[in-house]
Amino acid sequence: MRNSIAIAKKELNIYFATPIAYVMFTLFVLIGSYFFWSLVGRYEQFSLMYMRVNSPEMMNRLNFQDAIFGPLFGNLAVILIFLIPLLTMRLIAEEKSSRTIELLYTSPLAPRDIVFGKFLGALFVVTCALLLTLIYPGIVQLIARDTAGVEWRTVLLGYLGIWLLGAAYLALGMFFSALTDSQAIAALLGFVLALLTWIIGWAAGQAEGTAREIVSYLAATGHLEAFGRGTLELKDIIYFLTLIILGLFATHRAVEAHRWS
Amino acid sequence: MIEVSRLVKSYRDLKAVNDVTFKVEKGEILGFLGPNGAGKTTTMRIITGVLPPTSGTAKVAGFDVFESPMEVKRRIGYLPETPPVYTDMTVRAYLRFVAEIKGVPRKQRESEVDRVALRTNSDKFVQRVIGNLSKGQRQRVGLAQALLGDPEVLILDEPTVGLDPAQIIEVRELIKSLAGKHTIVLSTHILPEVVATCQRVVMLAQGKVVADDTLAGLQKAHAGAATADGGMGPAPSLEEIFLKLTSV
Repeated sequence: MRNSIAIAKKELNIYFATPIAYVMFTLFVLIGSYFFWSLVGRYEQFSLMYMRVNSPEMMNRLNFQDAIFGPLFGNLAVILIFLIPLLTMRLIAEEKSSRTIELLYTSPLAPRDIVFGKFLGALFVVTCALLLTLIYPGIVQLIARDTAGVEWRTVLLGYLGIWLLGAAYLALGMFFSALTDSQAIAALLGFVLALLTWIIGWAAGQAEGTAREIVSYLAATGHLEAFGRGTLELKDIIYFLTLIILGLFATHRAVEAHRWS
Repeated sequence: MIEVSRLVKSYRDLKAVNDVTFKVEKGEILGFLGPNGAGKTTTMRIITGVLPPTSGTAKVAGFDVFESPMEVKRRIGYLPETPPVYTDMTVRAYLRFVAEIKGVPRKQRESEVDRVALRTNSDKFVQRVIGNLSKGQRQRVGLAQALLGDPEVLILDEPTVGLDPAQIIEVRELIKSLAGKHTIVLSTHILPEVVATCQRVVMLAQGKVVADDTLAGLQKAHAGAATADGGMGPAPSLEEIFLKLTSV
């Protein structure tokens, strides 16, 4: 663990010494803010409309969670599909192409220290990016303080879901970085796989029976939505943890295999 | 201190290292010579645990590189052909990181970083980003990195490449001053370097050991024809011996 933290600190040093972390934060918040702004606009439209038709029943059903944060988390997750490969592509491919990996191999480090340390470093950047977006529920809380306000428990569960999704994309993206010494290829493969966990959900709509269940379990969308609704179920947690462990394990194997080639 | 025995590394049909055996005693500086592609770097990579051998063993301080890699890695400082530096980090941040993964205790890290920076004359540019350094400066940072934690064994793959003549002399002096306390394997193409620093020479050609002797021993063995009065012939230069042994 001590070694992993040393590696994680080194990765952070590089993320923050280069523009990578700042570009990630800027893009994430910029695009996230656009989505938030348009969702708030939509919320406003609906509430005006319901007021005009004088429908207290509809008005009651309108809440921040379903109208703003649920869709917002979906949108943030889509941004992660694009941005996480930017973080993971360099993790191992760069060490290979610049030959710094020899330093790691000749130091008293186990491959798992290297893999886990790199994962932790990148996860810290993703965590920071997500923390920045806490301004959105913060703004809603400020404006709506005389109503019921934000359901923080549900919002935080949504954050947990998207954080787990980010961690899964990181672990899988790092695997591709371990397979090649080209950062471009690592980024592209990481992006395609992340996208796949998303579009496979659309395929579920066409399938039937058991196939449908399997396909929709494999898609990230349903699991993320469960968190967004504020339900915490074991099957959703297991889904993300499986992807994370699978990614880390595959990366570990790829790093070991690289030394034997 | 280092025992390499019947080492073989093959890539498909190509034997990069073919049955290499040699020993390095404690405190000795061994000159590791050979033309490009002779298998020097591959052998060094096996000793440092970067590559596994196809067969044969390598031992450092009595530990087998393959069976107890951690024990070996704790005792080795390695400067590969390309200095393994992160171009986006400052020299100080980089050396701190290496000290940390080499297991230098937290309290000693700063002073250890200062020590190796001073030792390699890198102390003037420790605050600079490595990407902005000259080739010679990077080489010195690479050397500083290998010295961190004061390892018993130093494996240096062409440490003077890219340095200017004054720096080459500095590095040679540095290496000489490390002898005795450290065991050093120094790979190089520059023959005067060997004459200036090494006590013993192992020469490789096409993956095989073609010479393993002291400098004086080599000269004696390859001396020209005896003169008429029964004395020794003219002592050949290392260059002549090198060309003779490595040409095929």
